[in-house]
Amino acid sequence: MNTFLILLGIVVVIVILMYNSLVAKKNEVDNIFGSVDTLLKKRYDLIPNLVATLQEYMQYEKDLLTKVTKLRSQALSASDDEKVKLEPQLQSALGQIMVAVENYPELKANENVIHLQHTLAEIEEQISAARRAYNQAVTDYNNALEMIPTNILANMMAYKPKELFSIEENERKNVDIKKLFANK
Amino acid sequence: MKKFSEVIDYYYSELNSIVKELDQKRQKVKQKIIGWTIVLALAVVVLVWGIVSVSDESDPFGTVITLAVLGLGGFGIIYKILTKDYSTEFKLRVIEPLIKFIDHNLTYLPSSTIPQYIFERSKIVTQKIDRYSGDDLVKGVIDDVKIEFCDLHVEKEYEDSKGNSQYQTLFQGIFVRAEFPKHFYARTIVLPDNAEKIFGSYIGKILQSYNFGEEKLVKLDNPEFEKHFVVYSSDQIEARYILSHSMMQRILTFRKKVGHDLSFSFVGGEMFVGVHYNKDSLEASIFGSLLEYKIAKEFVESLYYSLGIVQELQLNQKLWSKR
Repeated sequence: MNTFLILLGIVVVIVILMYNSLVAKKNEVDNIFGSVDTLLKKRYDLIPNLVATLQEYMQYEKDLLTKVTKLRSQALSASDDEKVKLEPQLQSALGQIMVAVENYPELKANENVIHLQHTLAEIEEQISAARRAYNQAVTDYNNALEMIPTNILANMMAYKPKELFSIEENERKNVDIKKLFANK
Repeated sequence: MKKFSEVIDYYYSELNSIVKELDQKRQKVKQKIIGWTIVLALAVVVLVWGIVSVSDESDPFGTVITLAVLGLGGFGIIYKILTKDYSTEFKLRVIEPLIKFIDHNLTYLPSSTIPQYIFERSKIVTQKIDRYSGDDLVKGVIDDVKIEFCDLHVEKEYEDSKGNSQYQTLFQGIFVRAEFPKHFYARTIVLPDNAEKIFGSYIGKILQSYNFGEEKLVKLDNPEFEKHFVVYSSDQIEARYILSHSMMQRILTFRKKVGHDLSFSFVGGEMFVGVHYNKDSLEASIFGSLLEYKIAKEFVESLYYSLGIVQELQLNQKLWSKR
């Protein structure tokens, strides 16, 4: 009887530890996503100002500017998972705009544009860091959801795997704004 | 900043006559030391023989050990007295011109050090420090980046199995303090990864995660970097903001060049680097010739790599909002 109670006690402790570890991993993901979201919002706030400044000069990139504005409004009302999916498109479009600015000497010399470019470059670096932290937290969480024995408990708790931020290699190159400035 | 080869050339051309002159002095000091060592050794032997033959102790082992320790202590004092002038002259006539040649705006203070509270703040060592000593402080501005470094020896006290007080080295090498080009508020510490080397990646990581206080383990997305370093931080995002992909790569390249273990920390907007040379780097040894290339290269490397951190890690590429 005593042995049974001891074994039961051990099992209960293990289940509690597994439960707490799963909850901690989920909270870590949510917590880091909170920071990612704040940084993404900072970037969304820059877009209207950027588009307003650029559209006077950029006659041939009107579509690109419209696309960025549209993506921004989509992202603002999107759920967390949708935001993760929209992120590469928005980042790529912003990168293309920054590359296009290079073709307009009057824009390159414009104080407001320079300020916006630098601010965007700094936010971009912070977003990149936050995205990496988020991806690591999601990987730890998803691993726990797939690994034995935590997967059994996660299944009972109805935890679902989460999406990682993905960036294609060519997109990564497009948005390397800092490098663009370093060449100047 | 001058190139490494230029600094070596300077050592063998401009400083050549001084180095030769100092090397002659070194040989004289060395002979004196050898002479004194023979005298001391003979004195110890005679004393031991005398005591053993006079005393009626059945086991004179304790007396012999005491005399040997006293002899060694005497040797230490004599060595220090005899080499003091040579050591000072070497620093003023070789090390200082070398530093000024690398960058003439730098200041060299041979007997100063970075204060203990700054070293403690860096968290490169987390244990309690009981003995803190250092010298050879170099400070100045390189490429618009404030930098200073010094030689340090940091120890903690412990009791051995017999209850005697002993000292264990926690850090010995060059400690660098420099401005960091990005804004940050959290504490991030990068240490040489011993757990993963000994226990492998999986068990190593589990051990590392229970290793620190309020700073949590940061798993980074560069396998090569993860192999050599373990990172702790009080903010997972800021740690990655500081340790961007390019910064990790630059740290790995720098580590390869230096060839010694490195510790880094990022605290209060500053970067701290500990280069574990495990010896007093800018001291001239009496038993090695200053004309030997290996010895000259070691001096130049210790100075050059400490100051070269600014360019190697691109600390001069400040964020726009930090300019």
